[in-house]
Amino acid sequence: MPESKRQPVIETRGLRKVFRDFWRRPTVEAVKGLDLTVNDGEVFGLLGPNGSGKSTTIKMLLGLLRPSAGVVRVLDAAPDDTRAKARIGYLPEVSHLHPFLTPRETLMYYASLFGMPRKEAVRRTHELLVMVDLEHAADRAVGGFSKGMARRVGLAQALVNAPGLLILDEPTSGLDPIGSREVKDLVCALAQGGVTVLMTSHLLADVEDVCDRVAILERGVLRAEGKIAELLRQPDAVRFEVEGLDEPDAAAVRAELEARTGRRVRQEYPAMSLERYFLQVVARDGQQRAFAMAPFLGAAPADTNS
Amino acid sequence: MTNDAQNGIAASARRIGGVAVLAVRAALRTRTVGALLALLAVCVLVLPGAVKGDGTPEGELHILLTYTLGFAFGILCLATLWAACALFAAEIDSARMQLSAVKPVRAAEFWAGKWLALLALNAAALLAVYTGVYAQVRWRMHRDGWETVEQPVSRYVAHPLLPSPREEARETLDELRARNELPKGYSERTILRALEEKAPEKYTEIPPGRQQAWRFRLSRPLRAGEAVTVRLRFETEYNTRAQVTGICRLGCVETARAVEVPLDDFTLKEIEFAVDARAFGQAPDAGLRTFELSFEHTGDAKHAPGLLLRFRKDVALLTPGGSFWMNLLRAAAVHGSVLALLAAFGLTLSICFSLPVAAFVATVLLVLTMVGNSVVQVVSEEDAKKWSNRAGMLVSRTVHGATRHALKAEPLAALTNGERLEADMLRASLVWNALLLPLLLAAAGCAVLRRRELADAE
Repeated sequence: MPESKRQPVIETRGLRKVFRDFWRRPTVEAVKGLDLTVNDGEVFGLLGPNGSGKSTTIKMLLGLLRPSAGVVRVLDAAPDDTRAKARIGYLPEVSHLHPFLTPRETLMYYASLFGMPRKEAVRRTHELLVMVDLEHAADRAVGGFSKGMARRVGLAQALVNAPGLLILDEPTSGLDPIGSREVKDLVCALAQGGVTVLMTSHLLADVEDVCDRVAILERGVLRAEGKIAELLRQPDAVRFEVEGLDEPDAAAVRAELEARTGRRVRQEYPAMSLERYFLQVVARDGQQRAFAMAPFLGAAPADTNS
Repeated sequence: MTNDAQNGIAASARRIGGVAVLAVRAALRTRTVGALLALLAVCVLVLPGAVKGDGTPEGELHILLTYTLGFAFGILCLATLWAACALFAAEIDSARMQLSAVKPVRAAEFWAGKWLALLALNAAALLAVYTGVYAQVRWRMHRDGWETVEQPVSRYVAHPLLPSPREEARETLDELRARNELPKGYSERTILRALEEKAPEKYTEIPPGRQQAWRFRLSRPLRAGEAVTVRLRFETEYNTRAQVTGICRLGCVETARAVEVPLDDFTLKEIEFAVDARAFGQAPDAGLRTFELSFEHTGDAKHAPGLLLRFRKDVALLTPGGSFWMNLLRAAAVHGSVLALLAAFGLTLSICFSLPVAAFVATVLLVLTMVGNSVVQVVSEEDAKKWSNRAGMLVSRTVHGATRHALKAEPLAALTNGERLEADMLRASLVWNALLLPLLLAAAGCAVLRRRELADAE
């Protein structure tokens, strides 16, 4: 879709949040006049150091916190509008699952909160358990799970309603590199299916891998915003990559370039990323996991509230 | 109804069901429910054997009904209140509520789901307790041959028709004003209150050599073949166990026939005797409804103590009112309704406060309710002279006023006295405790839940 025709899914104008103590005295201003727009079908990254206001912003978008000032619109509605909530999936930074429930019961519970008929809820639960590779542990209490497994359950519950807007707070936190890669693949696949994704992460490489646009917050203030390619581009430098060039030829090319431009040319031997190397070493059958997500892609957002 | 509306209702029901199932699972998968069941089992199975009765079937039944049901109900009250206080508060404190709150669930659906879960758990617990008591009564009836005595029973209760103390006091005040005999230095309001307090005295005292009469109208007419039971509860004027003698006359207004029963030794506080309907002659088709009861104190004017009766409470006519087992079921319904109210109260508190604060507030208010009723009955305004006493009295009166409809039915007293829990009492209990007050509390709780921030500045 051409960018000019994309509809805003999330819009904040002058968003401000001041936390107060018991006596209503202001303690900290977590978000200071944030203007943000996330468009339909975009993967948007919200970056910033600890305490920059990322999670507070997300919680205001979800109606869990009330803005002290400013306007928030999510899916063209107020954050506490149940019609909008029916189309949102949310994965918090810590999964906050009920420890006495099994993954199957957890997903059935969250499906019921969307008013999903039982038959459909059973089917969706099964599909999601397959997707997050937890079929084998579907009937064990979540309380005994590792952080990574609990994270997978959390991710599955965020997708239970085939959301039109997915909000992920540190989605790869606690996951091993394979799980992390799968989540990133999932985000890309969902975006291809038309789902809008807003994510935060401390791991900048993760954001770089999947996001179209990013915003950088610092102490509640928006410091930078734009497409990743545009933000990271170095217009005064050019890089060539050639495969299989031997040392004498490389030296000749470098000398020619230096002679022509009068500038110093740097020669490097590029290395693959550690993540890519790790995934090659610890390859497993889940590498094409994105295909298992087919049932969720392109599905109409559940509007079970009406 | 349109399809959209039907789908909306079905979706809402599924959301409420989901919340309820989660709450039930949370309860069943913790040790709390196990501990609660163990306590209830001790109440039902061990307590009746541990408490010594007076050896009579009535005494045994009294223990079963008051101690067993009383303790079990008390435990369930506290468990319900505290569990309800935890349901929202613990979820909010642990941030688990955040995941549920971002789903399209209305505040009222959360509230209703959790309330229904508590209702279901309480219904199951009450069913177990009452079934246990029922089984014990049946077993003891069989073992001890209780069939030969008239326990357990269920009877309609008719109290005497007496004028309202307020109306009587107002009439007296009007007479005094007309005669210009109002006491000087007091406001009319103070005089009216004093007259109102004094008005019942003429119906509650029977000095030696005097007679007192009461008129009754039965809610259900007495039929041929049935018996009417007279129940008198006396307090002697002095703290003695002196023997008192008297003559009791029970007359039927419709047939103009009376029965005289001499009572020559009633050192016991309570007397019951039955009179067969045939004793009043041929009953009309509509049955016998209006009766007059009189009691003449024939004791020695010098030595015998005067008798005291509580206004409208201590004299009653009792007529057959269905089976005891149905009465037990009605008592369970009343208890269930009180638990429903406590659940609603705890849930709303748990939305407003953290778990420790909600539990503390709930417990204090529960104690105030229990103490408040006694204080209002026992302590008069005149006794409360200090400001602290007056403040206490004000709190007690407020709590009593707020809860008097909810706690009007007294199922345990009714069961032990063999009194039928009347349909209007049962209806009032269900409507107030399980419908109106929970609706009010739900509205307050939901208003707070909609406004409350469910995350913090972590």
